[in-house]
Amino acid sequence: MSDVEAYRERARAWLESVAPRFGRAARAGLSEEEDLALGRAYLKGRFAAGYSGINWPVEYGGQGLSPIEKVAFDSEEMAFGMPTAYFSISLGMPVPIIMRFCEDKAWVRERVHKALTGEEIWCQLFSEPAGGSDLAGLRTRAETDGNGWKINGQKLWTSWAQYSDYGVIVVRTDPTVPKHKGLTYFWVDMKAPGVTVRPIKLAGGDSHVNEVFFDDVKIGDDHRMSPVGGGFAVAMATLMIERYVATDSAGFGPRLDLFVALAEAAEINGRPAIEDGRIRQQIARNYAMRNSLDAITARAMTMMQAGMEPGPEGSLNKLVSVRSRQKLSELAIDLQGATGLHFDAHAPVKQDWGASWINAPTGRIAGGADEMLLNTIAEKILGLPQDHRPDKGVPFNRIPA
Amino acid sequence: MSILYDEGQQAIASESRRILEAHVTTEALLPLLETRDAIFEPFWTIAKEQGWTAVALPEAYGGLGLGLVELGLVSHQAGRSLSGAPFLTASFGAARAILDHGDEALKQRWLPVLAAGEAIGAVAFIEGQRVIGGGLAFEDGKLRGTKSAVTGGTRAGVAIVTARDGDEMILAVAELADVERRPIESFDNSRCAADLVFAETPAIELLRGSVAEAAAVHILALQAVVTAHEQTGGAEKLLETARDYALTRRAFGQPIGAFQSVKHRIAEIYALVELARAGAVHAASRAGQDDFIAAAAAARIQATDGYDTAARDCVQIHGGIGVTWEAGLHLHMRRARSLAVEQGNLFFWEDVLVDRLREKAA
Repeated sequence: MSDVEAYRERARAWLESVAPRFGRAARAGLSEEEDLALGRAYLKGRFAAGYSGINWPVEYGGQGLSPIEKVAFDSEEMAFGMPTAYFSISLGMPVPIIMRFCEDKAWVRERVHKALTGEEIWCQLFSEPAGGSDLAGLRTRAETDGNGWKINGQKLWTSWAQYSDYGVIVVRTDPTVPKHKGLTYFWVDMKAPGVTVRPIKLAGGDSHVNEVFFDDVKIGDDHRMSPVGGGFAVAMATLMIERYVATDSAGFGPRLDLFVALAEAAEINGRPAIEDGRIRQQIARNYAMRNSLDAITARAMTMMQAGMEPGPEGSLNKLVSVRSRQKLSELAIDLQGATGLHFDAHAPVKQDWGASWINAPTGRIAGGADEMLLNTIAEKILGLPQDHRPDKGVPFNRIPA
Repeated sequence: MSILYDEGQQAIASESRRILEAHVTTEALLPLLETRDAIFEPFWTIAKEQGWTAVALPEAYGGLGLGLVELGLVSHQAGRSLSGAPFLTASFGAARAILDHGDEALKQRWLPVLAAGEAIGAVAFIEGQRVIGGGLAFEDGKLRGTKSAVTGGTRAGVAIVTARDGDEMILAVAELADVERRPIESFDNSRCAADLVFAETPAIELLRGSVAEAAAVHILALQAVVTAHEQTGGAEKLLETARDYALTRRAFGQPIGAFQSVKHRIAEIYALVELARAGAVHAASRAGQDDFIAAAAAARIQATDGYDTAARDCVQIHGGIGVTWEAGLHLHMRRARSLAVEQGNLFFWEDVLVDRLREKAA
C-alpha cells in the first residue's frame, strides 16, 4: 500500500468514527443555526485530529503535507455529508490568500487558527450586480479617507456572508484607467459599521448567498493586500489558489448507482424501467462519462505523486459533470412519476433527485459559468482568439453603459 | 487508477506518429474509397517492419510481450493518420482467442505468423444486426452458413467464429483458404469487409456453451479497447484540424475561431477527446481485472460518441470546404462510422455495460 493509500485509510477510519455525531444522518432535521453549530464542532474535532489545513504550512497551524493528502482526505470526507459547506469558501480561498498576501504574520496565524477550528468564517466579496463573469467590470469603489479608505457599493452572490467575520474584497480605486488597472484588494471586517448583509433566497429555497452593502465603510491602509491598482492580479491569484480540489464526477449530485437502483424499482408503461432502452442508454452514457472523469482525476493524482503537473483536462470536470447531473436529475424525476413530485427543499443534493435538480443550475453558474469554462478551454488550452471586447483598453468611466 | 505512460511507451507513441505522418497523405487515401479490398499498403508494410503486429503477443510465439496499453498507443496513431488497415485490431483479436483458448499445436500454427504479419486474422462474430451471431452451424467439426461484413474478411487467412451446435454456442477457429469471400461495397472500403460463406469448412472447437459466449464478449472487449484508442486518435486529429482552420479562416473581419459559436463547438470537441482518451487508457490498464469488461464498454461508448461528434462538428466548422471530396474530412466521417459498427455498436455495449452494473449492484 502506498503512503497515500495508508493516509486515505486512516482518514476514512477517523471519518467513520465521527460520522455518527456529524454525518448526514446526524444532520437530518436540524435548523441551519443548529447545523452551523454542529459544523463548528466538527471543524474543532477535525483540527484536533490533524486533518485541517492539510497542505498548509506548519508555521500557520497547517499539517505541512502535500495537496495529494488534502485531495485524498476531501474525497473521503465528501462521502459522509459532514457539515462543512459553511467553511468551504473560507478555507478554500480567503484564508489561503491572507497567508500569502498579509504581512502581519502574528495576526494571520490567529486568523488561520480560528478559521481552521470553525470559530471564524471568511467570505469572498468579488461578484457584483454589474460584474460576475466579467469580474473587472465591478463598480464598488474605495476612496482615500485620511490615512485609510472608505468603501461604498454593493456585492452580490457572496456565499455565507451572513455568518462571516471577515471578507476579502476587490474594489475600484481609479475609474479613469482601463477596468483591470483600477482595482485594489483589501480585507474587511464584516461586523464593521456600514456593512449590511441581506441573504438571497435561491430557487431551491435555501439562502447561502447574499447581497452585501457597503455604506461609508472605513478601513485602514493596513487592510490593503495589493498595490493600489494591482488588485486584479491578487483576485486572479485568489481564484487559482485552490488548484487541487476534490472533484466529483457525479457533479455534486447523486451517484449513478442510486439511479440504477431507482430504475430497478420503477416501471415505464407497466414494464420494468431497467429494461427500457431509453433508461439503459442514459445509464450507460452517464457511466462512461463519469468513468472517464474519474480516470482523468486518478491520472492527475498519479502525476502529482510523481511530482508532475497535472494536465489541463482536469478543468473539464465541473463543466461536464454538473450539466449531466442536471439532465439525469430531470430523468429521475420523470422515472418516479407522480412520486417524483414530492419535494423536500432541505433534502441532501447527493441523495435526492428533486433537490439535485432544483439546485443544479447554481452549479452551472457559480465558480465559472459553463460558457466561461468553454471560453477558457478555447483560449487557454486551444489557443483560439479572445472574444471581441469593446471595453478593452478603454478607461472604466468611458465604457458605454 | 489510471496510468502514466513510461518512457518506452512514450517512445512507441512518438515513433509510430513520426513514421505514419511521414508516409500517409490524404491524396493516397482517397482513391481507396472507390476500390474494394484496397488498403494503404505502406501501412501494413510499416506495421510488420515496426513489429506492431507483434506488440501484444507473448515472446514465446514471436511477439514483443507488451500489452493493450502499447497496442493502444499504436492504434491511436493509426486513428490519427486514418491509415489503419483493419488487420492490427482484427489479427490481435484472433490471436488472443487462440492464445487464450487454443491448444499448443494451434498456437504454434498461427501465433508466430500472426505476430509477423505473414497471416491476417479476423474475428467473425457478427451476423446482420446480431453482434455475436450464432446462426452458423457447427457439426462434426465443420461450419456451414454465412458471416456478414467481416472486417478484414477479404484477406484474412484465419477467423475466430461463433457458431451453434444444437442449443450450444461454439467458439471455433477456421482456416479460410477454401472459404468463399464476397467483398462488400462499403462507405469505408479499406476496412476490407467481406461476407464469408462457410460450406462444410473444417473448424476447430475452442469453447462450448456459456463459457464460449463469455469468451466472445471478452475478445470483442479487447478489440474494443484497441478501437477506442483508434477512435480517440481520429477525434484528436479532427480537434486539431478544426482548431487550425478556425485560426486561419476569416469572416466578418476576424478569424472564425473568435466567434463563440465556433470556439465553444471546438472546446466541446476537446472535452470529448479527453474523455475518450481517459476512458481508453483506463480500460487498457484494467486488462485482466474483474472490471475489465465494464471499463472496455465504457471506453468504447465514450470513444464512439467522441469520434462521431468530432467528425460531424469538424466538417460543420469547415463550412463548404468541409464537404468536398478533396478536403478529405469525409475520410474521418466514414472511419468514425465504420469503427462505430466494428466490434459491436453502441446498443451492444450499452447493454453489456448496464447488465454488468446491475450484476454489481445485485
